[in-house]
Amino acid sequence: MSKAILIGSPNSGKSLLFNRLTGLHQKVANFPGITVEVSSGKMVNLPEVVLVDYPGSYSLHAISGEENIAVENFEQALVDPELAVVLCLIDATRIEKGLYFATQVVRACQQHNKHVILLASMMDVLRNHNISLDIASIASELNTPVIGISGKSGEGLDALVEKVANIAATYQEEASFPAKSLAKHDDAGLREISHRIAKEFGPKGDILVKSQARLDSFFLHTWFGGAAFFLIMYLLFQSIFTWAAPAMDLVESIIGNLADIVIPIVPTQTLQDFVSDALFGGIGAFLVFVPQIFVLTVVVGILEDSGYMARAAVICHKPLRFFGLTGKSFIPMLSGVACAIPAIYAARSVDSPRARFLTYMAIPLMPCSARLPVYTLLIAAFIPANFALGGLLGLQGLAMFGIYLFGMLTGLLVTAFVSRVSSDTQDELPFVLEMPPYRLPSWQPLLRNAWNRSKHFITKAGAIIFTVTVVIWFLGYFPNFGEDLGASYLGSIGKVIEPVFSPIGLDWRYGVAILSSFLAREVFVGTLGAMFGIEGAADNFVPLAERIQDTGLSLGSGFALLVFFAIALQCVSTLAILSKESGSIKLPVQLFTAYSILAYLLSLLTYHLVEFLV
Amino acid sequence: MTTANTLSLWDMTRGQQCLVSGFRDSLDERYILRLMEIGFHPGEKVTCLNTLAFGAPKVYQISNSVFSLDDTVASHIDAVPAPESNSDS
Repeated sequence: MSKAILIGSPNSGKSLLFNRLTGLHQKVANFPGITVEVSSGKMVNLPEVVLVDYPGSYSLHAISGEENIAVENFEQALVDPELAVVLCLIDATRIEKGLYFATQVVRACQQHNKHVILLASMMDVLRNHNISLDIASIASELNTPVIGISGKSGEGLDALVEKVANIAATYQEEASFPAKSLAKHDDAGLREISHRIAKEFGPKGDILVKSQARLDSFFLHTWFGGAAFFLIMYLLFQSIFTWAAPAMDLVESIIGNLADIVIPIVPTQTLQDFVSDALFGGIGAFLVFVPQIFVLTVVVGILEDSGYMARAAVICHKPLRFFGLTGKSFIPMLSGVACAIPAIYAARSVDSPRARFLTYMAIPLMPCSARLPVYTLLIAAFIPANFALGGLLGLQGLAMFGIYLFGMLTGLLVTAFVSRVSSDTQDELPFVLEMPPYRLPSWQPLLRNAWNRSKHFITKAGAIIFTVTVVIWFLGYFPNFGEDLGASYLGSIGKVIEPVFSPIGLDWRYGVAILSSFLAREVFVGTLGAMFGIEGAADNFVPLAERIQDTGLSLGSGFALLVFFAIALQCVSTLAILSKESGSIKLPVQLFTAYSILAYLLSLLTYHLVEFLV
Repeated sequence: MTTANTLSLWDMTRGQQCLVSGFRDSLDERYILRLMEIGFHPGEKVTCLNTLAFGAPKVYQISNSVFSLDDTVASHIDAVPAPESNSDS
């Protein structure tokens, strides 16, 4: 089995070409840094050749994590006897940007006796604007075959496949290697060569940049651009909350109906309880987020594919930099207001490892939708439904706004603090962002990517969530078979840890509800309902809020609970995805521990402050 | 070499065209290399396409590519006004 590798500068169309040649469905987008790992697949028309796609890089001297992946893999591939050919992509519309890297790749291939083909991508765009590229002269100057292609229209792909097939058949024959025209040049020499070739044979005129600049004069205008930014972000927010809601209701109803059919046919009561509470209750509670992830991925994909994401990053960069973040952190953080899981996925687009790490830290503190039921219950229990300013200002609404703002500000303050006390600046990258041209999004890859992302969420997070759900269910169900939660192992643990929560005025029942909410925050409401013997508390907060009031829980404890839930990282799914995306268990464990301690200390402070003031 | 009319890329106004004249020593060597790799060669014409308020990154055209640089990078790149330089601001 021979190999072909695909390498090139970011946003040069590698993933689109990879999908075309392999029939696979890599994520594609009009935003630099989308490919963050190595992928491979057999070529559809040449099944004996495996095509490997590397993350984009501007140079063989890597400065970011993704570039390191590309460069290290490329260097290993050069000594791999199975490597038949290197396919190096250059964006034909912006040839200067990728040509230096291409000459580095050609030189490395010549030094290692490997075949290389340069692929001038996006030829369809040049053709649409009646712009030409002198491919023959570039090939002659570099003594390397160059093929003009379009991953979108398929132009030039037959010629490419034929060329790869010929090389794959003969690549081990020494005589077939091309002359080593670039092997003797150093990097400075390559820069001069690529600069000269781009000037002499590259596309003439800057019609593409001019059309891009016209749109930028609106989208990057201080006032119009700012207004457009807030409108687009409002629509993004709406998509997460409103557009996903019918599908979420549908999933919930399907799970409910399925439970109604399955549970009665389960033989024993214990098994029935397990299927009902752990399977349909626990797994169902996480499946309901799948539509939200799908919708958000589609909308973020539209922003990326259209080229707007880079403009949003420019607009947000300066204020976020104060907090140690970058403009590219904004979309993941905004997504975190709906759900931390798609937000953590979205943080892949933050290329600076340090900024990505800080973005991961901020996301769990964004007020996600799972906190909403808890906030609603506690605000209903402690804040009177009074209005001020002639009915314009509702106190409960103000409290909700305040707790949302508190979460966001805490997230920003945490990153500001960590970025200042941490002396490690080695992997901090300066803000140099390529501004891609504006394009109309392609729907098919967008929907396919959203589907793949949803599937990934179900398969990767599902196993961990299932395990934890079963453990929590077991602790809450035994030894008295679900008769009395207070007498269960979970209840016993609650009583053991009661001294921990009593300083903030909470008894063991709240302790148990908080413990169970470490599975998922919204479980707090249902568990508290079970503790107070109120059926359906998750759907109707009022009786439970009244019951909480009747127990005489103080205002200080209510505020302390709000603060606790705003900060504590009580979401197994988030921890699982964080572990997967950061590539280690260390970060989720550290964040879980730090945010639990911070949540406790701040809620303790809140309790005493409110009790003192009231 | 710095001359009387040298300015940094960060000093450029919207629409202004300059020639990159060099990099300040204060910029990390690997970033200088990277900027040269993506087209910011000494002698290359650079156009400032957009400047936003409140210190947001500026947008520059270099050859047929467009890049946004923030002040931590752009203020370390020296430039001189291009012979046909014009500015709309």
